[in-house]
Amino acid sequence: MKTFISLDVNGRKHQLAVDTRAKLTDLLRDELRLTGTHVGCGTGSCGACTVLLNGRTVKACCVLAADVDGQQVTTIEGLSEPGELSPLQQRFVEHHGLQCGYCTPGMVLSAHQLLADNPTPTEADIRHAIAGNLCRCTGYQNIVKAIVAASEQQ
Amino acid sequence: MIAGEFEFFAPKTLAEALTLLHTHHSGCRLLAGGMTLVPVMTLGLAQPGVIVSLNHVSGLDGVEDRGTTLRLGAMTRHATVGSHPLILEHAPLLAAAARAIGDVQVRHRGTLGGSLAHAEPAADYLCATATLGARFLLQKHGGERWLSADAFFVDVMTTALAPDELLSAIEIPKQAAGSGYAHQRLRRVEGAFPTVLAAAQIAPRGGPARLGLGGVAPRPVVLDIGEVLGNGVTPAALDEIGTRAFDAARHALADLNGSTDYRRAMARVCARRAVAAAADMLAPGGR
Ligand SMILES: Cc1cc2nc3c(=O)[nH]c(=O)nc-3n(C[C@H](O)[C@H](O)[C@H](O)COP(=O)(O)OP(=O)(O)OC[C@H]3O[C@@H](n4cnc5c(N)ncnc54)[C@H](O)[C@@H]3O)c2cc1C
Ligand code: FES
Ligand code: FES
Repeated sequence: MKTFISLDVNGRKHQLAVDTRAKLTDLLRDELRLTGTHVGCGTGSCGACTVLLNGRTVKACCVLAADVDGQQVTTIEGLSEPGELSPLQQRFVEHHGLQCGYCTPGMVLSAHQLLADNPTPTEADIRHAIAGNLCRCTGYQNIVKAIVAASEQQ
Repeated sequence: MIAGEFEFFAPKTLAEALTLLHTHHSGCRLLAGGMTLVPVMTLGLAQPGVIVSLNHVSGLDGVEDRGTTLRLGAMTRHATVGSHPLILEHAPLLAAAARAIGDVQVRHRGTLGGSLAHAEPAADYLCATATLGARFLLQKHGGERWLSADAFFVDVMTTALAPDELLSAIEIPKQAAGSGYAHQRLRRVEGAFPTVLAAAQIAPRGGPARLGLGGVAPRPVVLDIGEVLGNGVTPAALDEIGTRAFDAARHALADLNGSTDYRRAMARVCARRAVAAAADMLAPGGR
C-alpha cells in the first residue's frame, strides 16, 4: 500500500508516495539515495541509522517512512557540502575516530547533537551521549578524543 | 522494509484516533515512539493489519499542573519526562526513571504511554509510576475510565487496555516538598534494560514511604515501608526491607539477564540501596 507524504531532507523538499512498509532508512537510502545513513541491526540497538528528526537524534530504523509526513530530517549528508567536511567530521579524521566507518555517520550525528545541547561536555558526558552508537572497530577512545577536540575548537 | 502489508493512518485528533480504533480494533496497533513496535514488526513478531500512529495527534503530549497532581500526556517523550521543570519539582523519581532509559536516541523518540502500554516487567516507568501512586486514563470511542497502577498492570506485557482503548494520560500525585527518592537499577551495560530495579519514595516527618520493585514479578511490586521506618532508617530497618524485597521476588522470572535466585538476591541489594539513598536526601531528622 502507498501513502503520500511530504518532507524536508537536508533542506530539500520532497513529495513522495511511500510504501507503508518502508522505514525511514528505506526511504533515505533506496528512494533518495542518501546512503550515508547506515543500517546495522534494523531493530534499534546499534545506532548506525541515527538521523536528526526535527533537530533531535533518532534511530531511523524504528521510524516508519509514512510517519514522517510534514517533518524535517537531517542526515549525515546534511552536515557539510559535498566534498567538504564539517569541523566535527574533520576532528574524526584527525584523531582516527573511525576505522571501517560503518558506525561513523551515526556517531558523528550523536556527537553533533551533544555539542548543540552542551558545548562544553565532560568525557563522561561524551560517553553517555554516544551510548546508543555501537562501534566494533575503534574501542571508542579515539572517537571520544575527536569529540573532545571538536568541543575545544568550537 | 517490514515484510507484512498493513494499512497506515495518522489521525490529527484524539477523536479520529478513537474512531479508527473503534472501527479496526481487531488487528490494529497503535504506534507511539515505535522503539518497541517497529523492531518487533521488523522481526515479524507482530503483524498488525492496521497501524494508527499517535505521532500527529495534537494534545496527547505535555505536562499539566492540576493542583495536587501532574497530568502527563501519553505521547510525552522520555527526554521531556526526564527534564520537565514540573516533574523535576513534584515527581523527580519519574524524571530519574526517564533519564535512565536506553540511550539518547531512544529517549528522544520513545514515549511514556508506549512504555506503560507495552508493560515489560523491568521497564523503568512501571516501577516508578506504581511507586508514585499514578492513575491511568484509558479512553475509547464514547467512554473513558481511570485505573490505579494495580488495576492497569495485569501480567507480563499485559495491561487492562481493551483492543479499542488507548492510554491517553497518566496522573501523578505531587510528592511532598522535602521528600527523598531514589531510582536504583541493576543493568548489564549502559543502555540495557534493567535486570532488577528498586524505587524508593519517602515523605518527610513520618509521611508515606513506599518501595517499588521491578523485574522481580510479572507486575511492579509496591511495598509500604512506612512502619518499618518507624524508628528511622536504622540498620535493622534496612535489613527488614531487604528481607521483604527478597520475599517479594520469590517468583521472579528467569531469563538471560538472571536466574530467579540471582534476581532475589539483587532485589535485596537494590531495595536497601534505594531506601538508604532516598533517606539520605531527607533533611537531618527528616524522618
Ligand atoms: C535500545 C533500546 C534500549 C531500551 N532501554 C530501555 C530501558 O533501559 N528501560 C526501559 O524502560 N525501556 C527501554 N527501552 C524501551 C523504550 O522505553 C520504548 O520506548 C518503550 O518500551 C516503548 O515506547 P514507544 O513509545 O516507543 O512505543 P511503541 O513501540 O510505539 O509501542 C509499544 C506498544 O505499546 C502500544 N501503545 C503505544 N502507545 C499506546 C497508547 N497511548 N495506548 C495504548 N497502547 C499504546 C503499541 O501498540 C505497542 O504495542 C529500550 C528500547 C530500545 C530500542
Ligand atoms: S540500524 Fe537502526 S539502530 Fe541498528
Ligand atoms: S569504525 Fe568500524 S564500526 Fe566503528
